[in-house]
Amino acid sequence: MVKKTAVGTLLLIVMVSMVWAGGQGEESGEAEKVELSVLWFDDANESEVFLETMADYREANPNVSFDMQVIPFSDYEKKLKLMIAGGTPPDIARVTNNHVSMLYDSLQPLNGNIENLDEFASNFFESSLAFATNPAGELVALPTEATANGMLVNKTAFKSVGIDIDELSKTWTWEDWFDAMKKVVAENEKVKYGIGYDFSPHRWSTLLFEAGGRFLNEDADGMNFNTPEAVDALKFFKRLHSEELAPHSVWMGSEKPQEMFKSGLVACHIGGSWWINAYAKDITNFEWGAVRMPKRKIRSSVPGGKFIATFKGADNKEAAYDVIKTFSDKKHNEQYCRDTFNLSSRKDADIDYPSRGKDFAVFGEDLSVTPAYTAIDWKSPELNKIYSYIREQIVEGLLENQTMEEAAENIHTKGNTFFE
Amino acid sequence: MSRTTRYILLGFFTALFIFPIMWVFLSSLKPQSELFSFPLSILPNEPTLNNYFSAFREGDFLLYFKNSMFVAVTATLITVLINTMAGYALSKFIFKGRDIIFYVMIATLMIPLQVIMVPIFILLKNLGMLNSLWGIIIPPAATPTGIFLARQYILTIPNSLIEAARIDGGGEFFIFHSIILPLATPIIATITIFSFMWRWNDFLWPFIVISTQKYMTVQLALANFVGQYQINWASLLAMTMISMVPMIVVFLLFQRYFVRGLTAGGVKF
Amino acid sequence: MKKIKTHGTFEQTLTPLLFLAPNMLIFTVFIILPAVFGLRMAFYEWSILGDAHFIGIDNFRMLLQDQMFWRTLSNTVVYVVSVVPLTIVASLGLSLIAARQIPGIGTFRAFYYLPTMLSYVIVGIAWRWILGDDLGIVNYLLTSAGAVKVHWLTKSSMAMASLVFVTVWNRTGYFMMMFIGGLTAIPDTYYEAAKIDGVSRFQMFRHITLPLLRPTVLVVGVLSTIEAFKAFELIFVMTGGGPGYSTKFLVQNIYQIAFEEDRMGYGASMSIVLLIIIGAFAFFQFFMNRKEYSNE
Repeated sequence: MVKKTAVGTLLLIVMVSMVWAGGQGEESGEAEKVELSVLWFDDANESEVFLETMADYREANPNVSFDMQVIPFSDYEKKLKLMIAGGTPPDIARVTNNHVSMLYDSLQPLNGNIENLDEFASNFFESSLAFATNPAGELVALPTEATANGMLVNKTAFKSVGIDIDELSKTWTWEDWFDAMKKVVAENEKVKYGIGYDFSPHRWSTLLFEAGGRFLNEDADGMNFNTPEAVDALKFFKRLHSEELAPHSVWMGSEKPQEMFKSGLVACHIGGSWWINAYAKDITNFEWGAVRMPKRKIRSSVPGGKFIATFKGADNKEAAYDVIKTFSDKKHNEQYCRDTFNLSSRKDADIDYPSRGKDFAVFGEDLSVTPAYTAIDWKSPELNKIYSYIREQIVEGLLENQTMEEAAENIHTKGNTFFE
Repeated sequence: MSRTTRYILLGFFTALFIFPIMWVFLSSLKPQSELFSFPLSILPNEPTLNNYFSAFREGDFLLYFKNSMFVAVTATLITVLINTMAGYALSKFIFKGRDIIFYVMIATLMIPLQVIMVPIFILLKNLGMLNSLWGIIIPPAATPTGIFLARQYILTIPNSLIEAARIDGGGEFFIFHSIILPLATPIIATITIFSFMWRWNDFLWPFIVISTQKYMTVQLALANFVGQYQINWASLLAMTMISMVPMIVVFLLFQRYFVRGLTAGGVKF
Repeated sequence: MKKIKTHGTFEQTLTPLLFLAPNMLIFTVFIILPAVFGLRMAFYEWSILGDAHFIGIDNFRMLLQDQMFWRTLSNTVVYVVSVVPLTIVASLGLSLIAARQIPGIGTFRAFYYLPTMLSYVIVGIAWRWILGDDLGIVNYLLTSAGAVKVHWLTKSSMAMASLVFVTVWNRTGYFMMMFIGGLTAIPDTYYEAAKIDGVSRFQMFRHITLPLLRPTVLVVGVLSTIEAFKAFELIFVMTGGGPGYSTKFLVQNIYQIAFEEDRMGYGASMSIVLLIIIGAFAFFQFFMNRKEYSNE
């Protein structure tokens, strides 16, 4: 009786272990074939375009295959860290400038591994290269797309009250913007709000830099945020809300500015160059476009970008170097950026976008007057660690649970704890 | 309560529960541009099935469905078996450490999986279970919730039935198989429905274990529609609706086992 | 009559262990071991891509002073204390209506269970959209009818209430199924006998149904408590923890600390405290139900 039960349970355990052993994963038998694990995240169709762009490479190198692993963006960083901490990083990964600064120690330096790296790298924008350079001065990733913050406007809404936004924006300041915006909101029934900022410190920092402030000090080894410029930028942001030009439901709720922009409720959207793609597809009932950022003390955008990299612990680094270099050359980079509707990070890129070429040019123009320290600030790992904290502090200020001076002080202090 | 009153109440609550889902469903029939047009539309202005087609085109959804299905079915079979066995052991026997084992199991439910993600990853890597469907079938099969449910339910089965069988000389496995299991049908049905849903909706385990497209599950694919800057609403809504179908089928199939007063040959009151 | 011992013999000790074995094996290897390792990190300073340094109970000392920790803890407790009783009442009530096998009942049960089948992401995104200030359908209907729009997710207290509501909406069907399972364990004969004795409906509920449902109430209570304490994905998608800090709960805080600020050790220490707190709430519920073994 007991034996029966014992045998029964034993059988169960054996069955389970056999079945478990069956899932040991497959070994590839042939030595020359290389399967590269490629980690990617999509915003629209980036992983697909990567494969299309590299189709000629695969034809020329039939022994190389790509195992595309597409991960949702909100979990991308976790997945990367998980794989690295577990000792199995991917061979190739698409990374943002945030990721690069977080993973300096795990990314494989390309110096010495890619031929003529210096010459090759000189084709890229300074700010893009700055993001991809680790504290030891080595290049740990190659830039793919460059992104810039900027203003997208509902041209039809401005036209309806007699404002030619293209003309006005050529030389405008924020005070000009206030005047124009108040007119539109007052006279155009559909438009309820003037401006929406993405719920992101990176987007908000456009105001910081334009006010002449920044996050870090000169040597980038500590915070410099409790300055009059920072407080000024914070208060300006508050002013946008208290004068009802910015909707409360974005920074103090969870509505998305792009959805409000698409529905015509918000006339301007401070977002980034990546929106050109989405808006081109989704907006059909009004005219829109990119315009220059209004000037405050200075005119500035905030750079960012995407990169392609390999890792120190990756299995197939050699094959990876070749793929990375090919992907980043003029021909492939142009094709990729054109088909994903992104700004290229190559200075010599000459892309014939199927549409909206003018908008890209505007963003590029804003980028060209952006000071280099904007990139230096945003590439610091310490700043990236307090990303959510900054956002929370700004909201506390908007909610009037604290003054903006206190918000600046808190952010300054918290950031410094990571520099110690 | 009279039949009519019952049906009225049932109908009322249906509306309350269904309303947001109807919203999701109706929105899945709208083209993406209409989703954010203002003023909002409730019914689609031009109903379209495009979202459903494009969602299938955009990914290898047939493959993902196959993977999710295999995982959910296999895991459910395992879970139901081992959970009822464990629930029985924890409720009808007295032995040293019984309660400790039970409380420890419940306690592990209290740890957010996120906190132990990294150790699990390393463990699975060392066991060679990464990038394998078994890696997302076996580890989560020992569900404390399932055991908890089985235990609580089997507690209500009268001991006299078991004792009588022992007196008659029945073996332990016979008792389990011929007395406990039939009487526990309602809770087995519950665990089946739940387990299928847990595995079908699992995100965290596949996220940790699977990196390769070949073993991607439906939930991982759905999450990919939420990009860094924008949400691919059209595909997300459509595929969500479709991915609910297997769960609904399993539910309808098994819920009929909730038949009241199942004491066939049981204790006379 | 011969008295059969129900415990104490070797047989009766081996048998349950064998029945438990497959489950315990999987559980120990895949859950307990990593959990122990992960929680052990509470005594270390550990950056996920770096080394771990032993620092004793420093993390716990820091916790006591950490305002953000206490703030998120109190938010979480408010949430739990609101969600759990509401869930129990709602799912029990619904199960009473839906337990009887009348024609079409399967379809109704499916409707109530439907919200449960949606992943947290969809539930969060859908409700966030529905409750949006300007683009949400609820406010749209309200303003069209001439009423004023409500700040469902943009005012602190309202946001908490909305979260509680959506949580209960989402989980009631799930717990209802457990109650239905429990209700069907009660033999009809009990009710029939009571009816013959002229017992009223209400008294039947109080003296037959409720006591026999106690084991199920315990399950629902403990499970919904644990779930509520661990709430994260739904909340994060709906409010992101806002406005400000008003709906930031413990697990979101742990996540931010462990992953974004790269302090896994500190995050682990918070998890231990969370574990103790949930344990206390659960233990309390077990204690209140300790009569369940009187079935002997």
